[in-house]
Amino acid sequence: MEHPPIEPIVTPYRMRFLSQTQLDDLQAATLSVLEAVGVQFYSERARTIFAEHGADVNHETQIVKIPRDLVRKAMSTVPRYPVLGARDPGLDLITQDGVTYFTSDGCGHQTVDFFTGETRASTKADLAMMARIEDYLPSISFFWTIVSAQDCGYTAPLHEIEAAWQNCSKHYQSVTMMGADRARYAVEMATVLRGNSAEVRRRPPLSMICCTIAPLIQDQDAIESALVFAEAGLPVVFMSMPTLGTTAPATYAGALTVGDTEVISAVVLMQLASPGAPVFHSLLHAWADPRTAAYVGYPLDSRARYAPVEIAHNWGIPALGGAFGTESPELDSWQSAAEIATDPLLVALAGAEIVTGIGLRDTYTLLYPEAIILDADIYQRARYSLMEMQVSPEELAVEVIAAVGPAGHYLKQKHTRTHMRNALVRAVTHQLNDDGKYRNPRQVARDQVTWILENHQPNPLEASVQNELTRIIQAATREFQG
Amino acid sequence: MTVSETPELQPIVPSYRLRILTDQQLDDFQSASLEILQEIGIHCPSEKALKIYRNHGAEVDSETQIVKLPPQVVLDAMSHAPRYYTMGARSPEYDLVLDGNHFYCSTDGCGTEVIDFNSRQRRTSTKHDVALMARMADYLSSIGFYWPMVSAQDYPAIAPLHELEASFNNTVKHIQTETVMDERMARYAVEMATIIAGDEVSRRERPPLSSLVCTIAPLAQDKGGMESALVFAEAGLPVGFMSMANVGSTGPATIAGTLVAADAEIVAAMVLIQMAFPGAPTYHSMMPGIMHPRTGGYLATAWEGELPYAIGVELAHRWDVPTLAGVFATDAMVPGWQSAAEAAAYLLLCALVGADTGAGLGLVESCTLLYPESLVLDTDIYHQIRVEARGIDTSRNAMALDVIKAVGPRGHFLRHKHTREHMRKLEFSDLSAQPGPAGGYQDPVEVAREKAAWILENHHPQPLMEAQQVEFRRVIDAASREFGTL
Repeated sequence: MEHPPIEPIVTPYRMRFLSQTQLDDLQAATLSVLEAVGVQFYSERARTIFAEHGADVNHETQIVKIPRDLVRKAMSTVPRYPVLGARDPGLDLITQDGVTYFTSDGCGHQTVDFFTGETRASTKADLAMMARIEDYLPSISFFWTIVSAQDCGYTAPLHEIEAAWQNCSKHYQSVTMMGADRARYAVEMATVLRGNSAEVRRRPPLSMICCTIAPLIQDQDAIESALVFAEAGLPVVFMSMPTLGTTAPATYAGALTVGDTEVISAVVLMQLASPGAPVFHSLLHAWADPRTAAYVGYPLDSRARYAPVEIAHNWGIPALGGAFGTESPELDSWQSAAEIATDPLLVALAGAEIVTGIGLRDTYTLLYPEAIILDADIYQRARYSLMEMQVSPEELAVEVIAAVGPAGHYLKQKHTRTHMRNALVRAVTHQLNDDGKYRNPRQVARDQVTWILENHQPNPLEASVQNELTRIIQAATREFQG
Repeated sequence: MTVSETPELQPIVPSYRLRILTDQQLDDFQSASLEILQEIGIHCPSEKALKIYRNHGAEVDSETQIVKLPPQVVLDAMSHAPRYYTMGARSPEYDLVLDGNHFYCSTDGCGTEVIDFNSRQRRTSTKHDVALMARMADYLSSIGFYWPMVSAQDYPAIAPLHELEASFNNTVKHIQTETVMDERMARYAVEMATIIAGDEVSRRERPPLSSLVCTIAPLAQDKGGMESALVFAEAGLPVGFMSMANVGSTGPATIAGTLVAADAEIVAAMVLIQMAFPGAPTYHSMMPGIMHPRTGGYLATAWEGELPYAIGVELAHRWDVPTLAGVFATDAMVPGWQSAAEAAAYLLLCALVGADTGAGLGLVESCTLLYPESLVLDTDIYHQIRVEARGIDTSRNAMALDVIKAVGPRGHFLRHKHTREHMRKLEFSDLSAQPGPAGGYQDPVEVAREKAAWILENHHPQPLMEAQQVEFRRVIDAASREFGTL
């Protein structure tokens, strides 16, 4: 079935949040921490790669210190504008200046069931349902693991790939890929989808998120799965989530330095192991509530939110920005909009190539299937705000203004009939009831989900591909679960 | 009752700037406005205004009341309009200095209905509501100046003057009226401003009152509004003109077309003021809507509705005059997801393009309905944007390199002195970061209700001096005799 074309934010506008001097100072600080403090790599394989390339490795403490020349040499092989291939070639994402692609949030673990209203653990079926909805939505350019398939055990990441590709023709970025063993099966699935490994490299249909651990640690499973992906040419996003005051200094610049150091140390490893491997930089810092120590994503003062995008670009790396992670547990509360309403504007003005995460509540953990419709509405407001303004004679309409003159109206003008169809793009808030009043946005969102589920069915995978994917998952299940 | 100190103002001072239109696009807009003013003209039903236009080089048709303005006449008049000036307050420390760097916001204004503060029942608005909300606005550092938030419908004959009395009596901040639409009423308002300022010289130097007059789309002016504006301008009180042209009904069905027609309306009015009183403080205000194709309604918050407000700021600055930007207008029926979703981006965009002033916080239902807690909720969004626009510190101390080195991998920063010192400086939301009794956080809307009630119970700004109150009473009595009491 046809689906609407994707609608990334395309804008001629750009803002600079940090000056070049500030960016250079931050980069110098990262180089200094990499060289003098180092990063702890639990993975022996990772440490061996570093040692082979001249880093200062202490296998006992697992600390790797990276000289700045080695950092710079490794960073020089990072591709600036990687491609995120899709199942459907028409949906491939070509990263470039002035274009920002958004995806859903991830990785939630609870679902408010769309039909029963019950709150329960998330399942593979939830992920499949959301993949179908996101396949339809133009605001979603690629698909994330919006919830985890908790009914699938150790092989959940592979089941999630299957659910994604069965129900969504867009690129899939896994948020749960942990461990070289599972990553190898994932690469095999990508190869089955594409037909051969060269095509996987040319149009990678799969990528992954690899989280670092603050302060200054790399998890073994995460980094080893990233090495497998990088070797296969599948993009890896390195994401640091330092928290001001607990796992990072209580100043923004300090937290950015910790986070950037973690990300860059991982990027350097990938480039040493597989030069030219596509990678993204992502730094989603948070704050600690001084009274509870709880993770706070949206304090009043969150002004450094999109500085990391500029930090990434200063290294010459594409960036994944973080947006829409409201702390509100409610579907449509004041808070769930107030916290995130300017996110898509700011992250696109910063020039992020890709952005997560539309559609979850309660700090990335809780799925209301209809939340994605409300968030997408806020996304679209930003998209329209950042579109280039047209000031042509036809748009200025001086002749029409003259024809109407003072104190007239424009309703009868041909120009109005021509342009009115495009003048008002209805938001979810401007849908009319039969009595001429506006409908409750929550109900509009629910109805839209229902409509998509009833009417939108993405093109299925070829039977041979489907069979192969099933076989791979069965093999992985046998290996891991007996 | 103890008199409370009014908290210091916290205007938005952006470190970043955004340009939406190119110089070429701005020139195209200005050329189109000049073309409209010269070839189509403006309908002006005021004989007084027509005479001023005629005496200063405009082509006036007395029969049709159409005024056509040659480009040079427009440019000459606009060259007198000041780019920067001060909007005074009752207390000088709350003066608003328009300098191109500070962005001051007001409450929304002229609502007609209120969710009652006690009963929570919906009812028509009164003078008492104007007074209560002036007190709340006085407390909130987000509010740089006060628009009487609702109309004093219990005093229909001279409501604008009662609104001014209630406002001046309950806030020390600058007042901007949007309801004085009559020359005679304007003279009473000027008298009240003089009472606040103390004398005419102070009134001109630090005008405590300004006025906003709406033009009529397309390309028309209101007689009472324009004659009132002339009285304000003569007294040195700032006066601004707002166009609310609606894409598709009172404006062409393209955004650029509606903006240029609206710009022509605003500029024609500003030209009149500058012709009559060269150098009078004026401002430009563009608040267009988009017509709903099925209801004809004015929508301020359609998907494409945000950008025109920020472009209005750029057009004002192209004419080298300050602006009153449109912020926080929501079509939501209650404070909630929709009001927040619609508001934040407007404010951010207007701040980033360098707006001088903006209105307004605190109403829902397309600027008509007051919920007591709305102003507190909007204030939270305001501060989020204020801080967002402020820029970040990347000094060596802020980067905390020594601290990072001391903690190293696998440590934590909780015990470090640097953490204790800087953790206190982080700003958390007054509303959404309030821990609840059973863990988690309290409902922000409920916190806002409690805060609104607390302000009204506890905040009592410096009242007017006794002599000023007596003088105000005399002005109101005189106006009542002239206009009647009902």
